[in-house]
Amino acid sequence: MTVSPIDYAILSQAILAAAREMGAKLVRSAYSTILREARDGSAAILDRDGNTVAQAELIPMQLGTIGLVFQACAREYDLDAVGPDDFFVMNDAYSGGQHLQDVFFFHPIFAGDRRVGFAASVAHHLDIGGGSPGLSVHARDVHSEGIIIPPTKFSMARDWNGGPLERILRANVRAPLQTMGDFNAQIAANRIGAQRIGEMCARYGAETVEAVMAEFQAYTERRVRAAIAEAPDGTYTGEAVLDDDGLGRGPIRVRSTVTIAGDRIRVDYDGTDPQVATYLNAPLAGTISATMSCVKSVLTSPDIPFNAGLTRSVEVEVPKGSILNPHYPAPVRARMLSCYRAFNATMNALSQAVPEKVIANGFDCTTVACLSWLNDGAYSVYLEIFGGGYGASADEDGCDAIDSPMSNCANTPVEAVDQDYAFFRVEEYALTPDSFGHGTARGGTGFVKSYRILRDGATVALYGDRFTTAPQPLFGGAPGTTAACEIRRGDEVISLTSKDMKELRAGDLVTFRLGGGAGYGPVSGRSAERIAEDLRNGLLTRETAERVYPAQLVAAE
Amino acid sequence: MRVGVEVGGTFTDLVAVDEGEIQICKVPSTPASPDIGALASLDQAGIMLAGVGDLVHGSTVATNALLERKGAKVAFVVTRGFRDILFLQRHDRRNIYDLRYKRPSPVVERADCYEVAERIDASGTVIAALDVEAAVAELAPKLRAGGYDSVAICLLSSYANAAHEEALRAALNAALPEMLVTASADVTREFREFERASTATLAAYVQPVIDSYLSRLDRELVARGFSSRFSIMQSNGGRIPARAMRRNAISALFSGPAAGVVGAIRQAERAGTGNVITFDMGGTSTDVCLVTDGKPGISPDTELDGLPVRTPVIDIATVGAGGGSLVWIDDGGMLRVGPRSAGAEPGPACYGKGGTKPTITDAHVLRGTIRPEAFLGGAMEIDRAAAERAFAPIAHALGLSIPEAASAALRLSVANIVRAIQLVSTEKGNDPRDYALVPYGGAGPLLAAEIADEMQLDRVIVPPNPGVLSAYGLIASDFSKISAITRRFVVDGDAPARIRATHAEMEAAARADFASFGLTDGLGFEFVADMRFVGQAFEVPVELSPATLAGLDAAKLEELFQQAHHRIFLHGGSKGQKIEVVGFRMTVSRPLESLPAFRERANAAETPKESPIVLADGNAVSAAVRAAASLTLDAPVAGPALIEGYSSTTYVPPGWQVWRDADDNLTMTRTAK
Repeated sequence: MTVSPIDYAILSQAILAAAREMGAKLVRSAYSTILREARDGSAAILDRDGNTVAQAELIPMQLGTIGLVFQACAREYDLDAVGPDDFFVMNDAYSGGQHLQDVFFFHPIFAGDRRVGFAASVAHHLDIGGGSPGLSVHARDVHSEGIIIPPTKFSMARDWNGGPLERILRANVRAPLQTMGDFNAQIAANRIGAQRIGEMCARYGAETVEAVMAEFQAYTERRVRAAIAEAPDGTYTGEAVLDDDGLGRGPIRVRSTVTIAGDRIRVDYDGTDPQVATYLNAPLAGTISATMSCVKSVLTSPDIPFNAGLTRSVEVEVPKGSILNPHYPAPVRARMLSCYRAFNATMNALSQAVPEKVIANGFDCTTVACLSWLNDGAYSVYLEIFGGGYGASADEDGCDAIDSPMSNCANTPVEAVDQDYAFFRVEEYALTPDSFGHGTARGGTGFVKSYRILRDGATVALYGDRFTTAPQPLFGGAPGTTAACEIRRGDEVISLTSKDMKELRAGDLVTFRLGGGAGYGPVSGRSAERIAEDLRNGLLTRETAERVYPAQLVAAE
Repeated sequence: MRVGVEVGGTFTDLVAVDEGEIQICKVPSTPASPDIGALASLDQAGIMLAGVGDLVHGSTVATNALLERKGAKVAFVVTRGFRDILFLQRHDRRNIYDLRYKRPSPVVERADCYEVAERIDASGTVIAALDVEAAVAELAPKLRAGGYDSVAICLLSSYANAAHEEALRAALNAALPEMLVTASADVTREFREFERASTATLAAYVQPVIDSYLSRLDRELVARGFSSRFSIMQSNGGRIPARAMRRNAISALFSGPAAGVVGAIRQAERAGTGNVITFDMGGTSTDVCLVTDGKPGISPDTELDGLPVRTPVIDIATVGAGGGSLVWIDDGGMLRVGPRSAGAEPGPACYGKGGTKPTITDAHVLRGTIRPEAFLGGAMEIDRAAAERAFAPIAHALGLSIPEAASAALRLSVANIVRAIQLVSTEKGNDPRDYALVPYGGAGPLLAAEIADEMQLDRVIVPPNPGVLSAYGLIASDFSKISAITRRFVVDGDAPARIRATHAEMEAAARADFASFGLTDGLGFEFVADMRFVGQAFEVPVELSPATLAGLDAAKLEELFQQAHHRIFLHGGSKGQKIEVVGFRMTVSRPLESLPAFRERANAAETPKESPIVLADGNAVSAAVRAAASLTLDAPVAGPALIEGYSSTTYVPPGWQVWRDADDNLTMTRTAK
């Protein structure tokens, strides 16, 4: 059926509003700091076949592939046999999922007897079992990383609220209060989405709502294709590297070849290094998400809704067996790091086509810090996600100390940490002077966060990257800066690697140093005003300014 | 005589009420020194200040100081290790795909941030003592050299124990008597350090501006013979004495919208209902608010210019949908309205001031709901042909006639406003069908019935003089103040006693506070506990009346919380799940001795009996035209009709009727389902 332009304009925005409400309520009724404070979750409305229509814009990495993850469920089950009480759950990296911590819930939406769509939510869970609390640094296969839920249909009445699925999950997670609470928040978010879409169907008719869902995808596709068509045709290549595999072998190279032809774009990761033994491997869904995030951020206007219309417009090819599309059972927990290099490599390729639209490489890592402590038979697990400095653009400095582009996690307030954790305390959280890549526009600064350990028997685990290889600049700028993690124990300083784990003692000070983004354009192009401002605010030291920007300092005096 | 003066961005409005006589006056605002506009409105209305018994003022002075970054020079003092919290903020981005993302800029620079060694933990226990003398010896010379107007202090965990902040403030006051010193715990006693620090710096930023503005205004008023009560509106919809506001400017940031909501509540009460959705549509945006039993929703926090402000505000949702909002087609072919606006210059195309882009006001002209000859009492020329030219490309792109395109734009505008209403109603667990809609602002009554249709509301109440309702809300407001405190404990057998003790403590503090204003009699108290399941981070408010408090036990408390949680999140948590109290809010209020009446100002303009309008389906019909003040009491007029007043027009669509009640409200109800 055709929809009137006005019904379309009204309903498409209403569906978007429903997805946003789902996202807001997912976060607001959550229990773990990773979901309620860091907001590491997402929500979406899918059409009756599971194509993404509208999403709550929370975490780009999860948003890219909710629809693809759903298709894994659609392959296993006849969607026409799905009833109102049924729902799907999955987290399996090797059936289309991301890493095991991202658990997807899909609930069908019915208008009368007709299935009109699905409400979807995903959240990063604090702990999903596996070798160690929160983060299994030594995992050598995906089974060591947590419980695997293949794409499976369950029944709310039978399997939740004390039913078998809930009981099994509760027994397999280390922090059941938080994790089960977060699952319930996901279910509640889906229920809200279903209710809102149901209300629209009651008002406008299910047929109209379904037609709007289809047209909204076509609308995005039209706008994305128009944006791609504006970029010059050609084939462009970019590269980026990871420090190592966590076992000392590296650097690991990611290569992206971008072909733009008319309103079509194809991204091929041929030439990327093979998969590794550690948890850096990115499941295909992750690589696709990273590619979509890059293309969307660089080429299209931010107000284009992210839905299946975008994924249809971008073709992605990833060699099987590479670090961006591994064979089972390679571990995948830290897949975000490889995904960032896919993002960087594709951005570097696009910099040749549209130099005015890209940014230099930022710190662009998800550094995951995990402090855990077993006390009286209960685990206390603290997880924090760190970003770093953004890369500079042609005319703007990169944003200082903020979460990296494919994630969007908030920090946990120090006062919330103080209330919830007895075994450590945050002692410093600060910007790091001189931690950015210089240039006509500079990268964003890095930052430091330090934790004082108050009890014996705690453990720190982390994964990160860019401990040895710095973010790459563009067009004559300088590279960004690297990261570090260390433990101060009395006079001793213990350096950790970027993928590491250590036992802690009371009195230890654990410090994470996150790097800054790279510069864009030659340092000779930087204005004396911007240099003076950074000097005044102590982000640039006198010594560094004299070394890097001597001409501007002379001119200013 | 009671006088309300509301300084807005474009106009300064005055409403004066004396023994049933009403005076209304609108003069241009004078943003450089708003007191000039305020005094000009008094002059133009010919008010003799010696005869004024109650003067209430609301202004955008604090808001503008922030938006235009013309506040005080502020130094920020924080616990060692956390100098950068104002810049680090929450580490997340508002727009996730923007590669050139910029954070909201705080009102201090990094160079103006200072640290002191000290630490208190979440229980309020001192972990590292503050050496006040050493701290001030180090800070004072730097602060003096920095030439600051004010100092904001935010020390970690001061919400639990403010001793270090208070000691430091006292010592800085002694060392630097010329600087105003704000301690974060004085502004908000709630946890989350960045939000509290942001609030404290904003308070320090606007305080000196408000202080000098109010003292200047006060001097002028006294010089003109004023000797009576002078009050200022707050963001919570209550007034406080002007001299108290000079210590608490942050509480006035959203006073303008709050005053309108109070005016709407008063008129709706006269029409017999306390459940209303207020809808204020101006030139660039629309504010909506949900009011239950005469009480507006209160939000514990909000933000301004992207910066968090943790002070209680009337819970208002704003959308960029006003009379001047632009109508456009995006590059995917979708019809859009706003959020960009034609602004005051050039304004809508029909104003004939050079605007060529179509707006909502143009759409009203094209469908006939704004009659060019009656606009602003006929005082302004309306160019219908220009509106047609502006809409022609939209009509062409959509394959519609020009009036149809105008109707489509208005329907979309209605949808945008409906979404704002859903934010404050359905998303918070309130069914809007239980409420009446109260439109005001120049453009509100033109769309109100259509919004009511969309939301299935049965009743619209248009107050008299909807264009100056905020100024009336000032003189109709009660004295009130909200205090909040973080007190965290699990709900168990001891909880009711702790809650009663906290209630007694907060009530005593509120009484003392109001006694300092000279208000001791007739005080009313409302008490809310912010609760959540253990492990959650966001609280659900649970109101505890004195009767509930008296017989409160743990089971009752759990039940009240679970009901409140279920209303918002559609689930009440699993059985036996632990619940905790996080904090409390106490509202103290002192109602007015008597409420001033509000009458429609007579509109002398002659009006014809009929005028053509275009309906949503594209059909043209003839609408009855009446002057608001000329409607016979309680005699319904059937739609389609246009009821024209001095400051706005009410559109009554087919299927609706309208009548004037004894308090000059226009009530619209549906005659057909």
